[in-house]
Amino acid sequence: MLFEVRGLCKRFGRITALINVSFQVREGEVLGLIGPNGAGKSTLFECLAGVLPYDKGSVECGTRRVREVLFYVPDWIAPWPTQSVRWALEFTVGFLGGRASHYDEVVEQLDLGPLLRQPLGTLSKGQRKRALLAVGLLTSQPALLIDEPFEGLDLRQARDIAAALRVHASRGRTMFLSIHQIADAARLCDRFILLDSGRVRGEGTVDELAALAGRSGDLEEVFLALT
Amino acid sequence: MSKSWWVLLLAIGPLTGMSFIASARTYAEVSGLNGSAAGVGEALAPLSGVWAPTFSACELAAVFLLPFVAIGLVAGDRQSGALRLELQQGMSSAARIAVKALVLLAGWMVAMLAPLSAILLWKIYGGSAYAPELFTLALGHILNAGLTISLACSMASFTEHPSTAAILTLGFTVGTWIVSFFGSIQGGWWERAAGYTPAAMVAQLQRGLVRLDVISIALILTLCGPGLAAIWMRLGVAERRRICESAALVTAVAVAIFACTWLTPSWDSSENRANSFPESDERALRSIREPLSIEVHLAQEDPRRVDLENRALSKLMRILPHTQVRYVAATAIGLFEQSNPGYGEIWYDVAGRKTMSRATTAEGVLEAIYAIAQVKPPVESDDDVFRGHPLAVAPRGAGTLFYVVWPAVFLSSAIVLRRRLI
Repeated sequence: MLFEVRGLCKRFGRITALINVSFQVREGEVLGLIGPNGAGKSTLFECLAGVLPYDKGSVECGTRRVREVLFYVPDWIAPWPTQSVRWALEFTVGFLGGRASHYDEVVEQLDLGPLLRQPLGTLSKGQRKRALLAVGLLTSQPALLIDEPFEGLDLRQARDIAAALRVHASRGRTMFLSIHQIADAARLCDRFILLDSGRVRGEGTVDELAALAGRSGDLEEVFLALT
Repeated sequence: MSKSWWVLLLAIGPLTGMSFIASARTYAEVSGLNGSAAGVGEALAPLSGVWAPTFSACELAAVFLLPFVAIGLVAGDRQSGALRLELQQGMSSAARIAVKALVLLAGWMVAMLAPLSAILLWKIYGGSAYAPELFTLALGHILNAGLTISLACSMASFTEHPSTAAILTLGFTVGTWIVSFFGSIQGGWWERAAGYTPAAMVAQLQRGLVRLDVISIALILTLCGPGLAAIWMRLGVAERRRICESAALVTAVAVAIFACTWLTPSWDSSENRANSFPESDERALRSIREPLSIEVHLAQEDPRRVDLENRALSKLMRILPHTQVRYVAATAIGLFEQSNPGYGEIWYDVAGRKTMSRATTAEGVLEAIYAIAQVKPPVESDDDVFRGHPLAVAPRGAGTLFYVVWPAVFLSSAIVLRRRLI
């Protein structure tokens, strides 16, 4: 087990975003966090990464600090808009503790070569997503949390991204992906956490979730049954 | 190197140029240029005649341009989402803010090359530049910039949007002007508080007066802003805890400021000793061991009281800080008190020996004090008289430097650096 979440709760005033969320994340797996809009997926990731305080619960990483175990790539950000993509990646290596040895590979996997000199603020949504993914893939923490890795990408790009994530996962890096589209999650992830209205409705592989739901079928049907 | 920083750099050159050229021309005319009265030049001091006006461009830039640079640097990361990535790095918030504050200060030092260029030009013209007073003047504007950076950093960290931070920062600045206004009208604690506003601090240092209490308070406030920013930039910490930590910091700062208000040491770095009595008089005053108290029957806004305070009492308090000064007046303006018996009188008391005077000049005040303190007035020495540094030279080349060369250099630098970054 890489880290474990126990009883995480988060409220925004009267709105309860997360209620007693508990699950485990295993080393080397590709874990999908799936749920409808407003389920609390982004809130959960922000709480795990330590950029949003939670009200109750804990994130257990053994003897290590949370930031030594996981790195979180948010979805809806546009960092360093006046800096170039190259600057952002070099900043990741120099300041965020990224791995310089992976630089060329990540640039090639995410097709960022033609974009290196462009300011991040001038990139399209899909291009910026690829740049952010590159930042995440360069970091050295054993677990990478990515919020909506395929948002803004066309079909071909999404498949290329999925392949790149698989390559990094095959080397032992844990991928924890918040994915809106069930079909994308089913193609990429080994295990799933179903989140709905701030609660965990299920955790496990498709078969385990199907057993929990008391029905057979693909992930979409199991998801609809449990949420 | 944000756009707002380049705008500040581009603007401060011509602003400094305008101030320097105008003040240098006036100084030259009073010094005897083009046949005007040359005798007046003997009492001219570059500090008040040239440097204070020249450096005033820094004050304008610090109030209206520097906040945007600071807010952009601190709030930009939060607004763009970069902060969410950077917070995961592990660098403490305090260290991050400290680095940003130092970068802002370094950027400000680049802007101060404009008035420093004016000093260089003045020396080329053959003018006099007294290092201690110039250092004091520069210190005042660096501290003022530090206060602006501190305020902007804290506002940028409290608010979600940079424009809100800008409004709050400018609002706070206007608030200090209101405190100064109330201080001039109400007196008392308002007046005392007004003495510690950035504008008052700059004014004192522009006259070459270095007060330990003012400098200490400015430094404390300069550190307070980044401290608050460091607390509030920790997005992963519960808001309640951040509020408690902020309250603790503000309380500690308030206590420290209150303690600093009791500091009395001060130094006069001006060449013409504009903030001090002649040295011989200061020696004589220091020989007075008995407590001195002064009762002034003048209204708050009476020009005679302003004269008395500026020409005599402020200098006296630097030498005898335990002097008790009490003001007696029924109104603020004194207009309708003129006919009251006793209005305009200034009573001096040393160990029960009293005397009254209506003089508001330094000489009149000293004469009264020497009489009841039974101190022999010192003999005036020619060495104590400041002769001034007249300079009847037109500011040639200054227009070219500040209106053409300065903007061209920084505009081209901005373009080159932008291309190189990309």
